Amino acid sequence: MSFTGDEYGKRTLDFVERLQNLTDVSEISRTIVQELEWFGFTCLTAFTLPGPGAALADGIMLNNRPAEYTQRYFERNYLAHDPAIKELRHNLNPYTWSDIRSTRKLNKLEKNILDEATEFGFHDGFIIPIMTLSGSQSLFCPCGPEPDLTPRARAAIELIGIYSHNALKRALVRLQKEQARRTPLTPREREIMQWVAAGKTDEEIGGILSLSATTVTSHVENAKKKLDAFRRTYAVVQAIRYGEISL
Amino acid sequence: MIIVLEGSQRRKLHYYFERMFALRHKVFVKGRGWNLPTVNGEFEIDQYDVDDAVYFIDMDDSGAIQGTVRMTPTARHSLLADYFPHLIETGASPRSPLIYEATRYLVLPARKEESRVAKTRLILAVVEWCMSQKLTHLQAVVDTATLPTFIEMTPRTIPLGLSHPYGGGRRVPGGGECIAFRWPITLEVLEDVRAYGGFDEHLSGWAVHGQYGPEPAVVEAIH
Repeated sequence: MSFTGDEYGKRTLDFVERLQNLTDVSEISRTIVQELEWFGFTCLTAFTLPGPGAALADGIMLNNRPAEYTQRYFERNYLAHDPAIKELRHNLNPYTWSDIRSTRKLNKLEKNILDEATEFGFHDGFIIPIMTLSGSQSLFCPCGPEPDLTPRARAAIELIGIYSHNALKRALVRLQKEQARRTPLTPREREIMQWVAAGKTDEEIGGILSLSATTVTSHVENAKKKLDAFRRTYAVVQAIRYGEISL
Repeated sequence: MIIVLEGSQRRKLHYYFERMFALRHKVFVKGRGWNLPTVNGEFEIDQYDVDDAVYFIDMDDSGAIQGTVRMTPTARHSLLADYFPHLIETGASPRSPLIYEATRYLVLPARKEESRVAKTRLILAVVEWCMSQKLTHLQAVVDTATLPTFIEMTPRTIPLGLSHPYGGGRRVPGGGECIAFRWPITLEVLEDVRAYGGFDEHLSGWAVHGQYGPEPAVVEAIH
């Protein structure tokens, strides 16, 4: 099957195909971020706008903006004033920060919000509103120092955004269901798995926690069962995935 | 209930066709302002309303039409091949005896809870019919803004290219962007659509009625 389009089309259709085979949230996130880098986007925030009374943080599906940027955004409640968000009142088509600067009259705070992003090296960003039958409004917002925002690039990124949003949503729902179904580790099991993750043997862990090696092994076996793992290395991976332990 | 009609039945079952063409006129010509051929100022009928077009009509208990969609063979003509060939960037042919094109899809606004079910019911009937005909795909050209909903129905939605402006593009009234996609006709897609509409495994859309067009007895009952 020969390709009749350009690089933008080919890459994007390949990306969509690759995404369809992935189910793990981290793998999906990595794939999306990598693809956006080709266009010169260094960061991405994908989220669903919070309904009344809901927190913005709960709706975030992917965010790799610098922690300082995100923290400031929350602390100063920028969501209520961000011209890039306010634009949704007029426009449900994709738009860039440059578009807003040139078509809207911005007040001081609004200008500040956009300008502050440049302090972090983001000079332009693209906002793709995504609305589905389920009703909620989601946004796919990549940004970067000098991203490619030519018309074909925009069409490509829009499609990337639409498919990415769906893949993330599905994977997160699946993860939530898995979380709900599985039995959480006991505090002791968690403690022991944390040591296993640090590379300790059962004897060493027994020494640290004043337990016999056999007891430690039995806790690890229980944890493995709960985490649906055949080997302890995989149990560590699963424990991290489910937020039971961290590195 | 969903009834399935063939274009060749237009004279015999004119009662249904007239109401469907009138509703299409109301929604697409009057409602969306599309520049489409109109018959008697009342019916929206175009060159794809041929004998081997297949029509799916979702009717409520009172016989009012809640939704409709047209499926046409693509072996010779299709919207995609005739008007939007540039939407295909994969080099795939828009023509195949095993691919039908969906057009004139409309579902009347229902109460919010029902909208998803109503939309899905019609599409489920279409997918089931496609399976019964052993088609490989269904294809459609849609407004890019609606693509997320189709992907939500099934992630196996295959884009044929990036989206392109029509009618002057998004900034122009009556303009926008459109994209072509295909759905493979597989059990997975069928299950995806069923799950999306919250349908019981055993509910089927059109298969209950099993054949083209209602029996004459049914037509009389509705009158």
